[in-house]
Amino acid sequence: MTTRGVVNHASLFKDRLVTFLFPIGTDSWLTLLRLGLGLQVIFYSLSLRNDWNYLLSGAGGLINRNLAEALLSVESRFTPRLGWLLALAKHVGLDEHIVLSAAWICLLGAGCALVFGFACRFCAILAWFLHLCAAKSGGFISYGVDNFMTIGLFYLMLSPLPDRYSVDWRLRELRPKDPQLLGFWRRVLQLHLCVIYFFSGLTKCLGSGWWDGSNIWRSLIRPPFNIIDPETLVRWKYLFPVAGIFICLLEIGYPFFIWNDKTRKIWLIGICAMHAGIGFMMGMYLFALIMIILNVAAFGSGLVRFRRESPSLRPQEVVP
Amino acid sequence: MRTKYFCVAWFVLHFLVIMSVSCRDTLRSVAEGPTILPRWSKDFSQKAEAIASVALGQDLVVSNPVRQVLATYLHVAGIESGYGYFAPNVPGTYKLTFELHYPDGRIEYARPQVSSTAAALRLTGLLDQIGRTKYDALKEILVKMLAQSVWREHRDVKTIRAEFGSISLPSLTEFQQGKRESYQTLYTYDFSLTQGP
Repeated sequence: MTTRGVVNHASLFKDRLVTFLFPIGTDSWLTLLRLGLGLQVIFYSLSLRNDWNYLLSGAGGLINRNLAEALLSVESRFTPRLGWLLALAKHVGLDEHIVLSAAWICLLGAGCALVFGFACRFCAILAWFLHLCAAKSGGFISYGVDNFMTIGLFYLMLSPLPDRYSVDWRLRELRPKDPQLLGFWRRVLQLHLCVIYFFSGLTKCLGSGWWDGSNIWRSLIRPPFNIIDPETLVRWKYLFPVAGIFICLLEIGYPFFIWNDKTRKIWLIGICAMHAGIGFMMGMYLFALIMIILNVAAFGSGLVRFRRESPSLRPQEVVP
Repeated sequence: MRTKYFCVAWFVLHFLVIMSVSCRDTLRSVAEGPTILPRWSKDFSQKAEAIASVALGQDLVVSNPVRQVLATYLHVAGIESGYGYFAPNVPGTYKLTFELHYPDGRIEYARPQVSSTAAALRLTGLLDQIGRTKYDALKEILVKMLAQSVWREHRDVKTIRAEFGSISLPSLTEFQQGKRESYQTLYTYDFSLTQGP
């Protein structure tokens, strides 16, 4: 191949990459993400309302928060944590209980504001920061749902807010500074989900228990996920291998079938149904909700028709 | 146009990191096994995992600024761990029981308590972490903290014996034959409460 040919190919690749990463689209996906994450933050806060201070306090709680923060400091000194807020509050004489309660109220408030789309950017940053502080300071009691909430809130706060269904847009008449990046942030979320499901599916495929269904059985009888009576589960035993293989294929096939217009709907419904099943059958409601929110925002906004949806906020910049 | 180039550069770095973390954790799962892969894949996975860890700066000293910045980015973006939930296989679970000894010879049993179902899920995750941690000292500190939380509810207790064990789940066939989950004690800790545990 000549040098000119290589340059042409490189130029073509660059154009295709830019076209792929910066598609023209509406902000309906951002509306779904904002609304969904707002609800998620509200449910997260409410689900921990009675245990928040107990789980996250220093001395006098379930696990001393300082231990998790000390371990976090070894790894990363700059990751936000509740200890920072407490150190600040100490200067003005506020005690731990008040600061933790205030953090909980602010998180709940940020969730409510996100649902309505009031002060979107500020509330997205506040929700991300406070949730991250709680997740990191309570490192020993964090699990998958915290990771996915951080991912979602991280992308939300970087996305070009506000969207057109928010209070900010409608009443305060605020407009996003970089609307041409709407498609980019959606792509980032879409590709991240593809990576998540591919590796999740791949790791499951490596375990024999997902092929013969025994892992489905174990998942459903493992405390505290054993909310269905095992005697009832035994009656469904022939479904376990099918469900195990179905989950493996659904997850590992996600990055291949979610992009195609013909298979997207089937895959999205399948994935959402799987998460709803996990939520109802294992009691992992928050985990199910965050996964459904991320999926619907990333790939469902074309399927969910918004009233009076117009094609784009602003035309794409012309690539010379 | 400059914004777009900046975004593309960030995108490439962001996904390189995500891929590295995901590959590292998947390889770790293979190395720790058991999986359906042949035995030789374990050695390969261990070596490959080490390479992925190097890419994430984990061979650098902890205080190295590059490692610190990278670790911070992983945490703030929520991408510090892979996505192998309940994979390759669903592990068993753990149980922590406290035996409370009162000065009058009375013995009561207690377990760490939280109010809500959401917090109970997190408590189970904590017990799983205690069970999986390789560091005995950390294990003991965490159990001691949980013992303290129980002691605060039972102030007149003299000593606490903490029994940490694993729960083995029966297979479907075993369950049909009448076998139920079995408990095996892994560690026992005694805490004296003369001045608090």
